[in-house]
Amino acid sequence: MSYELRDHTADVAVEATGPTLSAAFSATADGLAAAMCDELPDAGDQFEFEVRAEGREALLFDYLDQLIYERDVRAVLPVDNDAEVRTEGDEWVVEASARGVPLAEISAREIKAVTYSEMAIEEIDDGWRAYVVFDV
Amino acid sequence: MTTYEAGDVTLHQIREFVWEIPQEGDMRAPARVLASEALLDEISEDKTLQQLKNSTHLPGVRKYAVCMPDGHQGYGFPVGGVAGIDTEEGCISPGAVGYDINCGVRMMKTNLSYDDVQGREEELVDSLFANIPSGLGGGGVVEGDIDAVEAILDRGMEWALEEGYAVEEDLAHCEDEGVRPESDPSKVSQKAKDRGKNQIGSLGSGNHFLEVQRVTDTYLDDVADAYGLAEDQIVVLIHCGSRGLGHQVCTDYLRSIEKAHSGLLDQLPDKELAAAPAGSQLAEDYYGAMGACINFAWVNRQLIMHRTRKVFERVFGSDWETLGMDLLYDVAHNIAKKETHEVEGGEERELYVHRKGATRAFPAGHPEVPGAYLDVGQPIIIPGSMGAGSYVLRGGEESMDLTFGSTAHGAGRVMSRTQAKQDFWGGDVQDDLEQQHIYVKAQSGATVAEEAPGVYKDVDEVVRVSDALGIGDKVARTFPVCNIKG
Repeated sequence: MSYELRDHTADVAVEATGPTLSAAFSATADGLAAAMCDELPDAGDQFEFEVRAEGREALLFDYLDQLIYERDVRAVLPVDNDAEVRTEGDEWVVEASARGVPLAEISAREIKAVTYSEMAIEEIDDGWRAYVVFDV
Repeated sequence: MTTYEAGDVTLHQIREFVWEIPQEGDMRAPARVLASEALLDEISEDKTLQQLKNSTHLPGVRKYAVCMPDGHQGYGFPVGGVAGIDTEEGCISPGAVGYDINCGVRMMKTNLSYDDVQGREEELVDSLFANIPSGLGGGGVVEGDIDAVEAILDRGMEWALEEGYAVEEDLAHCEDEGVRPESDPSKVSQKAKDRGKNQIGSLGSGNHFLEVQRVTDTYLDDVADAYGLAEDQIVVLIHCGSRGLGHQVCTDYLRSIEKAHSGLLDQLPDKELAAAPAGSQLAEDYYGAMGACINFAWVNRQLIMHRTRKVFERVFGSDWETLGMDLLYDVAHNIAKKETHEVEGGEERELYVHRKGATRAFPAGHPEVPGAYLDVGQPIIIPGSMGAGSYVLRGGEESMDLTFGSTAHGAGRVMSRTQAKQDFWGGDVQDDLEQQHIYVKAQSGATVAEEAPGVYKDVDEVVRVSDALGIGDKVARTFPVCNIKG
């Protein structure tokens, strides 16, 4: 499970891979954190949340949007992300947890939002790959 | 006819600085790029032209979609893109406005000269940095609650006036006098309001900044006089938007529209262009919510301006009125507004004019130009990078015909943030700028690297094209003195 920050003229893209879809989701979320902050201290408390959506891409979008929302209202940077993706009938669900590093303890840059632009979630030889462009 | 080949796309030169991509395939109108060949070389390097073509797939797009000289790749719709979309037969697209609704710029004048500030730059930059919230989690000028957020969304700058953060003259020098008439706070989600309440009066990060500048040149002296700008004068430029509240509103509506109008979405080449058909409930709701975000962004910039006045009072030992710290104007970069324009065939139509990374540029005599500037045209503020000049333009006579009354919004990026961090080191950039007597202070060194002067297009060239086309005429140039950012 890993991520890379990819070039984009104005914004920033995260390319993440993992052996499972859940791992690729988690890695994308860690990529989002890396796009905001280079050095992360060990501080912060764990928090959990759940997101539901109508499809796989929509779920990744809403999951990342929720992380950005939690960042602003909790004043923490969500790191060490863990996502468990499953389906319930027609619905896609992610059970997520993260460690919230207090923003007061780091110098972080703002990612404004997740976008659908060029979004990809695909099965690859050894797992899953996700590609997401974020608005800076 | 001169053509320009950019990969799969062929542009035909209509006249100097005007290039057209003919309508083809599922495009509903042609697309135009306003650029010199030097700028076109940069614009054609990323996905800008493809995104511009994609924007013409939106139903009801009139005349042509047009890319400003500072255009670059965005998400879905290009940055620097303008599209006039019919309010009866077309649609409205949150992605074509952008996440940072009413991201914009305002310029405040002073009667200080550069001499008055020289030698005190570090004191000034330190005090601005200490007093103006920036970066992530830095709070806001106002400790807000939900009631304050609701009032701001509803009444915009009127709220700031009531609370003592603005004077009547500030409202008179703002588009719509600082109050969006069709705003509807009830269409803004609780999530968005929750994000907004800790950020009322904050710069954020990325390319947002506050910069003290000196006027280096004036070009149209009668207009510069009318604007109250003269060489050597100190001015303050504030660039920020509607913060997390606006970002959440765009996100919310993008998702709601995706679910409710999937039929229309299936016709579009990029999901990020998701649009609500004109007349639909979501089109009305988004327009009301966006109007509320416009109010929020105006108040955000107003509060930062208010705090800046306080800082100057302390540093220069005089009250802000005596220092002549009056608002020149406030312009929006990311916005859609109902406006009436002449479209193909000479017909007058009401359009949702989507401007994403583009500035309204109405000329003298246009009824929507505020009274103070009706005779000369509205001011347009074009920020450059922190190592280059910025410009004040005025709405040009040709803008209504060529660009739905619009011009550029800045220098426009040419280099990615990831590349910039490899090429530049924040501390070195700061040292280099200090050699040029430009004092920069930022929450994050990485932000300084990402925003290094070298990552931007040549703002002089962008303005040269705007001026030559007569869409935004050059009035004055400014140069940085000190800059704070997130």
